[in-house]
Amino acid sequence: MPIIKATDVSCQRGQFTLFEPVSFTLAEGQSLLISGANGIGKTTLLESIAGLRSIQLGNIEYKSIDLLKSKDQWFDDSFFIGHKTGNKKELNCLENLRSFLQIQGIDVSEKQAEDALDKVGLAGYEYQFAGSLSAGQKKRLALARLTLIKHTVWILDEPFVNLDVAGCDWLLKLLNQHIDNKGILIITAHDNPSIRKKITHELVLEMQR
Amino acid sequence: MKPFLSLVKRDLTLGLRKKSQIYQPLVFQLLVVTMFPLGLGSGAKTLALIAPAVIWILALLASLLTLDQIFKNDYDDGSVESYVLTSYPLSMAVMAKVLAHWLLTGLPLVLFAPVLGVLLHLPSSSYGVLMLSLLIGTPIFSFIGSIGSALTMSLKHGGLLLTVLVMPLLAPVLIFGAGAVVESALGNSASQHLLLLSGMLVLSFTLVPFASAAAIKINLE
Repeated sequence: MPIIKATDVSCQRGQFTLFEPVSFTLAEGQSLLISGANGIGKTTLLESIAGLRSIQLGNIEYKSIDLLKSKDQWFDDSFFIGHKTGNKKELNCLENLRSFLQIQGIDVSEKQAEDALDKVGLAGYEYQFAGSLSAGQKKRLALARLTLIKHTVWILDEPFVNLDVAGCDWLLKLLNQHIDNKGILIITAHDNPSIRKKITHELVLEMQR
Repeated sequence: MKPFLSLVKRDLTLGLRKKSQIYQPLVFQLLVVTMFPLGLGSGAKTLALIAPAVIWILALLASLLTLDQIFKNDYDDGSVESYVLTSYPLSMAVMAKVLAHWLLTGLPLVLFAPVLGVLLHLPSSSYGVLMLSLLIGTPIFSFIGSIGSALTMSLKHGGLLLTVLVMPLLAPVLIFGAGAVVESALGNSASQHLLLLSGMLVLSFTLVPFASAAAIKINLE
């Protein structure tokens, strides 16, 4: 049974429609890769799906209820990581990881947070301010949230950007694990052959004619 | 309640690590106040006469210095998403942000006011009313300011626009706040002014969180 059903969804910037309307359905354990040229509106579409923006054209249903009406349920079940990592440069890694999730009502103990940092390869950086991390490490810090949450739907905007080879491998393993656990994945990525193996659906955004 | 407290705690931690937000408004007030006797060139009587207005205007201007920061930093680094994309009401997050902002910038203004009072020869009998009026008035600055901050958070230099937006809304606060201190300096009861101020605080406490939450959502479009 499809859990997410999108019908003729597109995004607008001012008066212009960004891309040809797209439709897709996703069930448990399925994943969607959104690709397309730079500036076509991948991020805008992802932010609309996540609920950061409103859906301007078409509609999306979650568990057969329109997203506009099931917002709370959707927010409880979906997790979004965008281009902006959401890290505070004046907080250290532990504080960043814990406060971000606690603000969403997800309790994270110090021990859990330390384990999560260990998993993403930030062991030893617990008390380092996020402002002094490299771009790749900042990304890892944001992705560490994924190891602490129980949301079914993961919405990730270019999660592989800035990661080194080991980081990509780790993330790929994590995403595969999530899909195997009946999770749903919606992701944008530029050509990355190894992610394609697990992807069940693919959308290529095209210019509105 | 937990997300609310976590957000307050996070913002207080941030504020205490970046202390400029706390002492800048106070230094600004002190510098301007010391200019008044020099510019006016007159005695204690004139100073005492203008003291209530000067202290209140300075409190207003000093809060304006930090108002744009309420949401701007969170927008810039993306952490605004942490409280937008949840089933917890966004208006509660606004409350938490406003509370933290007031504790970091409003409360110091209240505690610092007697120093300005001394420098301007404010009659000592008015100190209580001065602090009380600021205690009621400065949270209104933070509340109303949060609307302006939410509306301008995506702009690079939104400071002036924010000032133009919120100044007219803050004028009544200034009128009754300074009015209360004037009345007490004249030996009258300040309770009418203080009650009106309290009314404004209740009004902003109940309405502003929804307005700011709507402004945040508009800005993310």
